[in-house]
Amino acid sequence: MTEATTRGDGPTRVVRVGTHPTTVVAVTVVVLLAAVFAVGGKDSGLVTQSIVTGLLLGGVYALVSIGLTLIFGVLGVVNFAQGSMLTMSMYVVYALVAGPGIPVYVATLLAIPVMFLFGMMVQHFLLNRLTSTGSHEGPLLVTLGIQLLIANVLLMIFTGRPKSVGTPVDGSFEVFGAIASYSRIIAFVGAVLVGVALTLVLRRTSLGLSIRAVAANAQGAALVGVNVRRVYALTFGIGAASVAVAGGLMTPFTSLTPSVGEQFTILAFVIVVLGGLGSVLGATIGGLVIGLVQTVGALYLPGTGSLILVFAVFVMVLFLRPQGLYGAK
Amino acid sequence: MKKIASVMTALVVTGGLAACGSSDGGSSDSDTVTIGSIHPTSGPLAGVGGLMDDGAKLAVADINAAGGIKALDGAQLELAGGDSQGKAEVGQSEAQRLIGDGAVALIGTYQSDVTQNVAAVAERGRVPFVIDVAVDDKILEQGYKYSFRVQPDATSMGTSGADSLVKIGQDKGTPIKTVAYLHIEGAFGDSVFDAFKKEAEAQGITTVKEITYPGTNFSDATTQVREAASINPDVIVATGYFPDGVLIAKAVSELGPDIQGLYGIANGAFDDGSFPAASGASGQNVLSANYHYDANNERVTDIRTRFEAKYGKPMETASILSYQAVEVIAAGLEKSGSDDPEKLREAIAGIEIDDPLLAFDGPITFDERGQNENATVIVMQVQGDNVEQVFPQEVATKDLVFPAAPAR
Amino acid sequence: MTDTTAPRPTTAHELPAADDPRLKDTWMRRQLVVLVVGVAVLSLLPLLLGEQAQSVAIRTLIFAIMAVGWNLMSGFGGMFSFGHAAFFGIGAYTGAYLLVDHGISPWISMVVAAVLSAAVGVAIAYMCLRYKLAGSYFALATFAFAQMFLLIVQNLDVLNKTEGFNVEILPSDSWSMLQFQQGSPLYFWIPLAILAVAVLISILYVRSRAGQYAQAVRDDEVAASSLGIDTMRARLIAVALSCGVTAVAGVYYTQYYFFVGPEQAFGSAVSVEAIIPAVIGGIGTIWGPVIGAAVVGPLSELVATVLRNPPGFLSFLQGTSGLDVAVYATLLIIIVIVMPKGIFGTIRDRWRS
Repeated sequence: MTEATTRGDGPTRVVRVGTHPTTVVAVTVVVLLAAVFAVGGKDSGLVTQSIVTGLLLGGVYALVSIGLTLIFGVLGVVNFAQGSMLTMSMYVVYALVAGPGIPVYVATLLAIPVMFLFGMMVQHFLLNRLTSTGSHEGPLLVTLGIQLLIANVLLMIFTGRPKSVGTPVDGSFEVFGAIASYSRIIAFVGAVLVGVALTLVLRRTSLGLSIRAVAANAQGAALVGVNVRRVYALTFGIGAASVAVAGGLMTPFTSLTPSVGEQFTILAFVIVVLGGLGSVLGATIGGLVIGLVQTVGALYLPGTGSLILVFAVFVMVLFLRPQGLYGAK
Repeated sequence: MKKIASVMTALVVTGGLAACGSSDGGSSDSDTVTIGSIHPTSGPLAGVGGLMDDGAKLAVADINAAGGIKALDGAQLELAGGDSQGKAEVGQSEAQRLIGDGAVALIGTYQSDVTQNVAAVAERGRVPFVIDVAVDDKILEQGYKYSFRVQPDATSMGTSGADSLVKIGQDKGTPIKTVAYLHIEGAFGDSVFDAFKKEAEAQGITTVKEITYPGTNFSDATTQVREAASINPDVIVATGYFPDGVLIAKAVSELGPDIQGLYGIANGAFDDGSFPAASGASGQNVLSANYHYDANNERVTDIRTRFEAKYGKPMETASILSYQAVEVIAAGLEKSGSDDPEKLREAIAGIEIDDPLLAFDGPITFDERGQNENATVIVMQVQGDNVEQVFPQEVATKDLVFPAAPAR
Repeated sequence: MTDTTAPRPTTAHELPAADDPRLKDTWMRRQLVVLVVGVAVLSLLPLLLGEQAQSVAIRTLIFAIMAVGWNLMSGFGGMFSFGHAAFFGIGAYTGAYLLVDHGISPWISMVVAAVLSAAVGVAIAYMCLRYKLAGSYFALATFAFAQMFLLIVQNLDVLNKTEGFNVEILPSDSWSMLQFQQGSPLYFWIPLAILAVAVLISILYVRSRAGQYAQAVRDDEVAASSLGIDTMRARLIAVALSCGVTAVAGVYYTQYYFFVGPEQAFGSAVSVEAIIPAVIGGIGTIWGPVIGAAVVGPLSELVATVLRNPPGFLSFLQGTSGLDVAVYATLLIIIVIVMPKGIFGTIRDRWRS
């Protein structure tokens, strides 16, 4: 444990500086939103709605990004298949719902081990050799291949016609005059739970310790007896499992097609870098911030305009704070 | 040096393989006539692409079963499939491959950008190209001689969508004055909207509020719908594709604005067979002005029944359009009595096809741009688990429910 | 790069210093001979290929030019670009805009596009390097710029927003407007010539002082700067060449395809298309990107052809949509895993040992 504390300088610093960026982000967000209310010139009900929508959307983004931040942060793999793994878990849930008639949220729980195993196998059989040589481009291309493979195998099995599972918890809920549907609130709560659970795993368990050790210094970790390849495989598995949660919780409000998840990959990278590599808290906060930027921004920059804003924020973060909000430099 | 040379040899062999590989495809002998079909059968649009490809296959099978092309001594049709993968440059090389393999005509391609590339290939290769689905006005504004389009273009859909909406309001004694219009960003949404606005204002709709949303990374429509509702419109109109259409219907139902209806124009969701299931209760009573197969036509019913039996999935309108496009080419072959592409083009340009499979204003005839002159939209409505034709009265399969306040 | 010297024991004891004139001569001469022979052999292809195969071959050549361009910056310069769509797109749109709106010959556009693209590339890279972005971060930054360009073009009226540009079809062949009869071998020979120039630039650059500096900086930045190398300058030269070459591929794309829209020019798929051939063939080698393109370009076409008319025992697979891409993806994964150094890199290593 003592050894880990010295080695785990990075992660412990995360805890220490952890409160600081949260305050900064929270204050900035509140000030900007207050400004939108005060001088934005938009109907206040509309602004409230966009904030609620933005936060709920941010929860979805957070769910997708939490898995990616581990894979990117620990393995250094630019996982382009993240979005497709999301699609895959949606179809796993869909198959369980449409076939044996299992309720969506139970099916989500069942999808977790399936995706965990899938992730471990991808890392073990396809990526391990390449990640240990430390090249970027090899794993990148392999994950691109996996993305194509997942999308097209799903196409072969389920055809490209849109599928849906229906909404098990229909209806919506009113907060400050804004509407929030139950299924999106459930997804948001799920994001928070996954974030908390993963943070606990990383901080409190020996597996978490090994993961943090490998992330900080793989060679050093190997020297003290950590099985780095196993940790890599487990990390990829955990990353895939959290995507399974994301997929399951999103299925009720998504029309499923074999490439539906791909649009999330790019935003997830933005969020991961914004939050800081390997930081689960960072990915969660980053997801919420990007969700807000996109929806509130859309009031002023309709269409793709708000996405330009998202990328502008991204580039600014890269230049000014490349370690991200919660990353140790 | 040697190794480099061997690498070069490998390279040439690869190229050669490609050559052999692709050229052994379909040598057209005299008693078969090849039609090339280019659709996105893989990639994000594979669902509809596959349906369209199957629609074309069924048309070819039907024509062959009925004795082939009589003017060519019963020559059989052969459909050569091409997969655009949803990419313009792949669509182009598929078009070149099919023409090279002896296709006398092409059909396709669902997407406007891919269609532009294929139209250019067809023009330069002097092979007629019958566009089944592709909405952009611009495709036929290049002065191309070899491109023909069966479906209505964006502008005419916007115009007749507005016209139908006004008439529905008048018929039901609830004149429509204010409209909030949600549309996807890009040429398709813009041109349908512009045409709608022009016609709507000419017909007495006073306010049209425009709200655009992006085609990518759009996974929640609540804010946009709320913004639309903020002007207290009589009707919310939406133009876009399937996933965004479902999101909009759900958001409208959740927000429950006091409107007379949600009305799609050229909307990829609202009259799709899978929309009632995908949208659940929120889809009820949603209206959609779109080109559509003619549900009252017995031939259509027969084709759709056989299609579903054969391919195990319902035949959507896009698929019927592919079927129709093959029939246009077959009729051209009958008329010209020749499988020479240039003569075929002449024949198609002057063709008149009575009894079209779609609910159009009249027979299929092409104007000098190549646009089907009688292509138009009708209005559908989701009632129960089905999409019913409701307006105009002549084509109705069920009575129109209007005002059609969204279900909550 | 020093592969040809390895089997020669006479030079083995002395390190192959870059400016050793004898070495430079042999190495360079060999590369040039290969280039000339390669071009001569390949220029016969249009006579062998049918029109349909030729269109695949031309697509492959465009990939190859992009990959050679990408490799200059990412292979020799060590700056992994994940946003080459930005530079390809600048080329495609410069060509389209100047031709369609101003009637300017694409040959002139090639020069304009190369200069413009190089300038933009240098500006982006300068900012990234100034803020010390490296590795995945550099890649993501370039990716973000390409995405921003895509979104901006989609919102710019002067560039027709999402409509893109159509090139007008001329009634007859025109060298100045780079337009010929469909299927004309010139459509193959011209990009082949462009590719030859791009490879020639690579060869000359690798042996030039600037290229040597860039490779030194790539291998050890600290050591290089301690030797007095202006690391920023060395890298920016690599970026400028890379972006210029890629832009020319873009101009040609518009000419050959007659249509370009935002996704065809700036879409993230384009960035990927620049990377795949180089990685498959071998990063940081002269011939890797070319060989990679020659393998990847026709691959999906070959797979699709085989599956369109499958051999008897596989006939149940016929018509399953998505299968061809799935097989292509599998082959891609296998190649990367089996040959992590790329085809050229792996073969070269085999040969040496």
